[in-house]
Amino acid sequence: MSHVVTIRTKVRDPAALAAACRRLGLAEPTQGTAQLFSGEASGLLVQLPGWNYPLVVDAAAGEVKFDNYGGRWGSQSELDRLLQAYAVEKAKIEARRAGHGVTEQAQADGSIKLTIQVGQGAQGAAIGGAS
Amino acid sequence: MNDTSSTGANQVIEVTVGSAGDVSVRTVGFVGPSCRDASRFIEQALGERAAETLTGEFYQSQSCGAAQARQEF
Repeated sequence: MSHVVTIRTKVRDPAALAAACRRLGLAEPTQGTAQLFSGEASGLLVQLPGWNYPLVVDAAAGEVKFDNYGGRWGSQSELDRLLQAYAVEKAKIEARRAGHGVTEQAQADGSIKLTIQVGQGAQGAAIGGAS
Repeated sequence: MNDTSSTGANQVIEVTVGSAGDVSVRTVGFVGPSCRDASRFIEQALGERAAETLTGEFYQSQSCGAAQARQEF
């Protein structure tokens, strides 16, 4: 091991966002304009379970707009699950695109570990689902 | 992106996605400059680099100098 990098996830890939929604059993994102409490917002709309207003994802900016009123209009944990699923799906897409193999393992603490085998693209497979 | 010239064997990039979407990327089995280049594609695809920790092995691999890493922060 030589270095460890921590990353703030930005939602910039509509395909990975759609894959994340499928992974969680949510309706796929639709392009549109939503009326949030704070005003209108346009982008990819995602309806999270129990949320009063949809998420609005501006993929070009990597931003997610939402109104959940500190959890009263929608549980933060649902948003967290989507962000986790997005990061997992995005990492898998990029690893495969680069010709690497990917295996996935759910961890006891709720995190998901991807092991990317450099240059072994055909051997990737999921071991243990996380959704 | 994929520089496998240094070892070529059992090179792994470990990506751990926390329950809130926070991501940690760790490289294993790389020697020299490839250690940082190898994971860059995944880092750039996922978002913004928030922090980097260089391990002892990083410093031991002479061609993967610390100065280069520190320029980024």
